[in-house]
Amino acid sequence: MTFRQFVVNNVLRNKRLYAAYFLSSMFTVLIFFTFAVFAFHPALNGDGINPKAIYGMGVAGGIIYLFSLFFVLYSMSSFLQSRKKEFGLLMLQGMSMRQIRMMVFLENMLIGVLATVVGILLGLLFAKAILLIAENILIIEQALHFYFPLLAILITFVSFLLLFLFISFFVTFFLRSKKLTELIKGSTKPKTEPKASLLLTVIAGLLLLVGYVTALYVKGVFVVYAMLPVIVVVTIGTYLLFTQLSVFIIGRLKKRKQIFWSKTNMLLLSDLSFRMKDNARTFFMVAIISTVAFSAIGTLFGFQTYLTGGVKEANPYTFSYTPNDDDGKSKKPEDVEAIERVLEENKIDASRATAHLKYYDIGRDREVLIASESMYNTFADLLDKKQVQIEEGKAMVVKENFAMISDPSMQVDLIDKPLKLKNGEEVQPTREMNSIVLPEMQAYYVVSNEDYKQLPKPLYETEQIFWKAAPGQEDAVIQAGLTLSEQIPPYKFQAIDASIYTINKSYGPILFIGLFIGIVFFVSAGSFLYFRLYSDLDEDKVKFKSIAKLGLTEKELGKVINRQTGLLFFAPIIVALLHGAVALTALSHLFDYNLVKESSMVLGGFLLIQIVYFILVRFLYIKQIKSAL
Amino acid sequence: MLEVKQVSKIYEGKVAYRALRDINLEIDTGEFVGIMGPSGSGKTTLLNLIATIDEPTTGNILIEGNNPLKLNRNQLAQFRRRELGFVFQDFNLLQTLTIKENIVLPLTLDGKRVKEMEEKAEVIAEKLGIQSIMNKRTYEISGGQAQRAAIARAMIHTPKLLLADEPTGNLDSKSSKDVMEMLVSLNEQEKTTMMLVTHDPQAASYCDRVVFIRDGQFYSEIHQGDSRQTFFQKIIDTLSLLGGNDNDFSSIRG
Repeated sequence: MTFRQFVVNNVLRNKRLYAAYFLSSMFTVLIFFTFAVFAFHPALNGDGINPKAIYGMGVAGGIIYLFSLFFVLYSMSSFLQSRKKEFGLLMLQGMSMRQIRMMVFLENMLIGVLATVVGILLGLLFAKAILLIAENILIIEQALHFYFPLLAILITFVSFLLLFLFISFFVTFFLRSKKLTELIKGSTKPKTEPKASLLLTVIAGLLLLVGYVTALYVKGVFVVYAMLPVIVVVTIGTYLLFTQLSVFIIGRLKKRKQIFWSKTNMLLLSDLSFRMKDNARTFFMVAIISTVAFSAIGTLFGFQTYLTGGVKEANPYTFSYTPNDDDGKSKKPEDVEAIERVLEENKIDASRATAHLKYYDIGRDREVLIASESMYNTFADLLDKKQVQIEEGKAMVVKENFAMISDPSMQVDLIDKPLKLKNGEEVQPTREMNSIVLPEMQAYYVVSNEDYKQLPKPLYETEQIFWKAAPGQEDAVIQAGLTLSEQIPPYKFQAIDASIYTINKSYGPILFIGLFIGIVFFVSAGSFLYFRLYSDLDEDKVKFKSIAKLGLTEKELGKVINRQTGLLFFAPIIVALLHGAVALTALSHLFDYNLVKESSMVLGGFLLIQIVYFILVRFLYIKQIKSAL
Repeated sequence: MLEVKQVSKIYEGKVAYRALRDINLEIDTGEFVGIMGPSGSGKTTLLNLIATIDEPTTGNILIEGNNPLKLNRNQLAQFRRRELGFVFQDFNLLQTLTIKENIVLPLTLDGKRVKEMEEKAEVIAEKLGIQSIMNKRTYEISGGQAQRAAIARAMIHTPKLLLADEPTGNLDSKSSKDVMEMLVSLNEQEKTTMMLVTHDPQAASYCDRVVFIRDGQFYSEIHQGDSRQTFFQKIIDTLSLLGGNDNDFSSIRG
């Protein structure tokens, strides 16, 4: 048996021990490779793809790579920790430190190469599925067909080979020679309980408070300036929260015998304080990584609704046409005919209405739209909105309650202003209403048809023609809109669904990258938790075995494990959810756009995934523990 | 108080293995009984059966006339922590807890009041002379102290039956002597029934009666007479007949 044979056999015959490290390495390779398959897809690299999107993908690839490095390094060091005893035994047999380093290096390279190869092979299997998903999320004209990703394979292989080489060198530095007895005792040597200082505990609370208040308080552009300091403060605060505040709280609970000496609390709390040192670091990492994931996905998702949702709300009509006669001759009849023809060709069922909008001077350099009851009702009918009835001598003020565009200072006083008619009578505005019916962003008056005739000469008048398609023919509407947008210049013609489609199309790759990175981060956070839990499995098995002999019912066992794993899974995630919620609130302050719905959807979605993950892992863990009893 | 009737235990597997064969044993209230036998004779299996950790293949085990195996798993767990006490070779103390917390653990799990637990811990610690280590952690004390703490834990709820599996196996001779004397005095003062499984003739000599088993079968039984010294000698004699490779009592290879 040569030294190399010994190392190789040591790995291959000890599969279970190396499995966790191997799987996590393979998992990172798989993610990177899948991303590469997507990023180097010919359909996304041809002409007409935004160079910014390509640049973005490059950056994203770099982030994933950097993250893989830390992730592999982390799993490697926790893997080495659990093997102290083995190293001790080998040193006892006379193995020199140099040989041990050599062994770890070779092992690591062996696992690294295997993980890279298997990861790429698995990635090839999944590639089609990923491309299908991408195809549905992105709006791409041609389908993302499966291709043989030679470039992706090469890049993944070379970069991970380098990564593992780097880590192998790096890790051997970790193995500083410790005392042999310490190594042999390995993990049986009890860890000391961490100590919490009151000062740092208070600082933790203060930092988080200051960070949160600042993030929630600043508005508009100041959000950008406040961002970096807030992130730094909250990150430090989170670290102290888990390393100090939690230790402090558990210490306090342990001192209260009424709580600590009550049923299974004793097992739970003593375990928590015992493992706090290990847990704190994991908690911190998971919380920060998950916060990044939540914020990234929430931001992108919110941004998308901000771009598209707002447009749709402000423009309820399918098509709008403004005859623009600046060039001298009116092309109105031809254009309207062209629109009608395209509608017919695409078999779209749409109704048309023409608006003659008259604007009046109401003093103080303000011009305002005054519409007649019948005009309002025509359009309300078109949009399936409520019709209004207005008595003579009275007027209604209509506002859009749409935060993005409306400027509250402009519309406050309309209700107090009576309108003067030609015959000297006054029309008194009596009520206000929020709706989007007429194509006017500012507040406007609606008066009765009789009074409308009596209005003085308007400042100016505009004409606009609107089409509203019946629901259920979205695809045809987008198609027709795209065709017409090519024929009629955009200052005259607007097809809202086609515009949204275009926005989505250029935005799709960014959204996909964001989602991808977010999910990568979230999944890695999950596997950190998994590692943490399973590194204690053997210890827990022994512990529960001895307690079970004393008499522990299955219900009590379940209770302890439930709370133990529950805390592990939810403490960092809840902190991350809080951070994420604050970050997204700050974001909505920046855009002055309400993101509550989007934020709660994203955060709720993650919470749900975490709950499912928790239930699954807990089930497996309890099964493992019970098998040992 | 304990009745073992015609108990056999067969471990199923590729080759079925009969660990115990038709064992009969009766232990009276307040008695201190030792079980001895060579490795693989089935001592620990018997202890586990009585401890309700394992179930016999055939036969019955009655504790105070009741068959604990008729209880469901949850009731069984509660039965164990209320009626039985355990002392193990490797102490089985939880390293996350202090000694005091380890001792009160059975009561804590049962939801007893803190005051009551404190009082009981106080009393038992005094009896076993471990007041000074009550707030220490498991790695700060010696083996003998750990075993005394484990005995305190096993005794704190005044169990009907104390089961000890090689309690002196990990101890030096001085600590072994202390621990055994402790058990004897508890046996005398509290009238707790005790059953001890051991390899150690010195430890066994503290019992009222020693039962020898071999290859899963009852072999012989001896009682302590007037002096522990002669009892010890008798145990050694029996073991020399029992344990050697070439003793010719064997009828198996006949």
